[in-house]
Amino acid sequence: MTTVIMRTTARIVVPIILVVAVSLFLQGHSLPGGGFIGGVLTVAAFGLIYVAYNLDYLESGVLDREVEYNTVIGQHRTVTAYRRLFMFGLAVVVASGVAGIVLGEPFLAQSYTYVHLPLFGEVEFASAVVFDFGIFCIVVGGLLTVFSVVGAE
Amino acid sequence: MAQFSALAAAIALPFLGAALAPLLYRLLGDRVGLAGAAVATASFALLLTQLGADGTVSVPWIPSMGVAVRLTVDGLSLLFALLASGIGVLIFAYASEYMHGKPDLGRFYSALLAFMGSIVGLALAADLVVLFVFWELTSVCSFVLIGYYTADEESRYSARMAMLITVGGGLCLLVAILLLGVGADAAGLARFDLSAILANREAVAEALRARGLFVPTLVLVVVAAGAKSAQVPLYFWLPGAMVAPTPVSAFLHSATMVKVGVYALGRLRPLLQGPEWTAVVATLGLVTMTVGAMLAVISTDIKELLAYSTASHLGLLVAAFGFDSHYGAEAGAFHLFNHALFKAALFLVAGIIAHEAGTRMIEDLGGLRADLPITAAITFLAALSMAGIPPFSGFYSKEIMFEAAWDAAQAGGGLAWLYPATAVFASIFTVLYSLRFLWLFFGDRPSGLPAVHRPPVGLLAPPAVLAVGVLIVSLFPGLAVDRILDDAAAVTAVSSVEIHAGLPTYLSGPVVMSAITITVGVAAFPFYDRIQTGLNRIRAATTVLHPTTVYDALLAAADRGSAVAGRGVHNGLIRTYVWWVLSAACVLTLAGFATTTTGLPAPAIAETPAALVLVLAVAVVAAVAVTTAESHVTGVLTLGILGFMVAIFYILASGADLALTQLVVETLLLLIFLLVIEELPAFYGEIDWPRVSRDAALSVAVGTTAFVSVLYAARDAAGPPTETATYFTDNAIPEGGGANIVNVILTDFRAFDTLGESIVIVLAALSVLVLLTMRDRGETR
Repeated sequence: MTTVIMRTTARIVVPIILVVAVSLFLQGHSLPGGGFIGGVLTVAAFGLIYVAYNLDYLESGVLDREVEYNTVIGQHRTVTAYRRLFMFGLAVVVASGVAGIVLGEPFLAQSYTYVHLPLFGEVEFASAVVFDFGIFCIVVGGLLTVFSVVGAE
Repeated sequence: MAQFSALAAAIALPFLGAALAPLLYRLLGDRVGLAGAAVATASFALLLTQLGADGTVSVPWIPSMGVAVRLTVDGLSLLFALLASGIGVLIFAYASEYMHGKPDLGRFYSALLAFMGSIVGLALAADLVVLFVFWELTSVCSFVLIGYYTADEESRYSARMAMLITVGGGLCLLVAILLLGVGADAAGLARFDLSAILANREAVAEALRARGLFVPTLVLVVVAAGAKSAQVPLYFWLPGAMVAPTPVSAFLHSATMVKVGVYALGRLRPLLQGPEWTAVVATLGLVTMTVGAMLAVISTDIKELLAYSTASHLGLLVAAFGFDSHYGAEAGAFHLFNHALFKAALFLVAGIIAHEAGTRMIEDLGGLRADLPITAAITFLAALSMAGIPPFSGFYSKEIMFEAAWDAAQAGGGLAWLYPATAVFASIFTVLYSLRFLWLFFGDRPSGLPAVHRPPVGLLAPPAVLAVGVLIVSLFPGLAVDRILDDAAAVTAVSSVEIHAGLPTYLSGPVVMSAITITVGVAAFPFYDRIQTGLNRIRAATTVLHPTTVYDALLAAADRGSAVAGRGVHNGLIRTYVWWVLSAACVLTLAGFATTTTGLPAPAIAETPAALVLVLAVAVVAAVAVTTAESHVTGVLTLGILGFMVAIFYILASGADLALTQLVVETLLLLIFLLVIEELPAFYGEIDWPRVSRDAALSVAVGTTAFVSVLYAARDAAGPPTETATYFTDNAIPEGGGANIVNVILTDFRAFDTLGESIVIVLAALSVLVLLTMRDRGETR
């Protein structure tokens, strides 16, 4: 699958997918989208990179780092990053739930407020976005972990 | 009035100690037992402050289900809790000497303290759910303590047996509690409020009878109590439990835990009393009393003898509570107290003998009087009390039990005369084995017995304290009766109660019963060996009927059955797993619909838009094409068509979020396929017709289930939106602050569900990681 056509397409398409994914995530509270959809789309973008190049490309090609070879897949640096991402996501989700308790509300209670920003005008800030961000991280981290570990087989 | 804080502290302190025990063990070493004794003393003192108080206190726990932490103080609960914590003090003191140098003492004391907390909690509980929780906790602690020697096969076997029997009984109790809840609800009471149920016992009993639930409740309670209190035929776990260290046997398996069943019977006695109650409970108790006493006579090990004797005495207690009259309540409460004192003392004596003489076999022991004079004196008091010889404490309570049996026989006539006859028959064996135990200290010293050392004070003091207790109750029974026993008996009785403890002054039926028991018992003692041989012969002839044989056979059958079922259900092929999961889901769903609904709603075919029909038709064509595809590539691509058609269907049905999700997931699937395409074989193999037809049947079943579910779940297109839908549309913006209802439901209204789903993703990722990396490390081999 690592043909020139595939790689060229991936180079063009991946940034577009990522922008769409982020916008879907951000608009999710009021328009179609949300953490899960944005997350799965992000996974698709990274998956495309993986299929077109390889697991190390993110490190060697994008971040321009040295890559250690011959490590076990579970301890691979990229996989570790994915694993940390879903752990972080779970922590965010639980923390956003506990925040409700701290403020005297039930577990996972959400709230929202409107703030006035220059250029953007009236913008809604919902605490649900924090929760949704956690979901986003879990989906991206979890699915990419599965993707890369199974893919290495 | 009872104080909640004092009661809660008396329960919580042991649990706190249990949590800290491993840490304390590191700091204090072997002496952590004394810390346990301090905790038990504190609990005991807290409970003592409540002596004379009466009433129920509660704090809400699960208000929506009417469950509260209700604690009650009355004679019975205090008696039981004081016994548990008071004997607990002695046991901890004894254990710190006895368990000296043994491994894993942190775990041991932790479990022992947790057990004590559970038993105090159980005694004070006035809420059925709380009672059940503590009931099961005692079973779990008992399991841990019996299995203390984890490397020992017999230990593990016995621990598992005790767990299966007592927890199995606990399940019966759970069902009985639910039935009682139904009765309480019908009588207009809080569902699980035991004190209210007992206060309105006539209304609750009437409600249960009206629904035909009275006898099932009674039977379930008796099974639960019988399993816990080692009644026939579920007594066999108790002798097995004797593999535990002796302090555990003395505490759990004689003084407290095994009495939990008896305690429950005493508590529920006023509610469930009636002819059925006497027939079931008194008979069960007397049979256990007889079987236990006979097995005790043929025991070869001193702890085994005490274990069977415990079962026999538990039978006596159960039988006493089984009799309707006030004598029954008096005998039950009084003997509960006496038995805890003398039996705990005897177990501790058995521990001393085993510790100092190095053997527990009865035939290797004898003439210990000279080596262990103080122990001999303790045994003298306790064993004669156990035998029921006047003027020792056991005699008073047993005499009242005889009165109860006599009373029941006079009232019932005919077959009811079997009650006193059986009681006397069993008591003769009781006298026999009590004298046999005492004889360890008299008679000739066997030549093989090595030098016996004097026990240290730490081992001697606890049983001595108990023996002094026996002596005080023997000399001045009124002291204990006035303080607590009258109150305790009154709780378990419906009529007025007044315990008369003393030597008989005139001749009556029960006095004759006692006289026969003691005379025959003492006269038969010289022929102990011959009686033993006779009983052994009976036992050998009935091996097939032994509960242990049945238990082992059932266990072996369960093992074989699960091996067979296991091979069928999970054989390592994903195909098999999917088959079982899906077919089970289909069967359950369809059965649910079949039992709860009538008639199938007709699908609204005429109103379906043409575009929708077209999209679905393409989807169906794609689905058929998938099954006939010749290679993976065509199969997956046609599957993609099907997925995108479903997405379009969602768009047409104005489910934008669903459509987005469907599209994104479909894309991801294609991507995954690209990843693995090079690894797959180019063509499918030969068709295996039986497998194909099985898969086809499953597919049809899944399709049918989905179809039927949609028909039932879809709202009536012509009708108004459902209540749930209206709630979400009305509240999404004001409550959640978002116009996308699906997202607001996911992140706000139903955030808990989303949290659970995200945890599923995390678990899936973790299991993939662990499974694959563990294989790399070679840990699976």
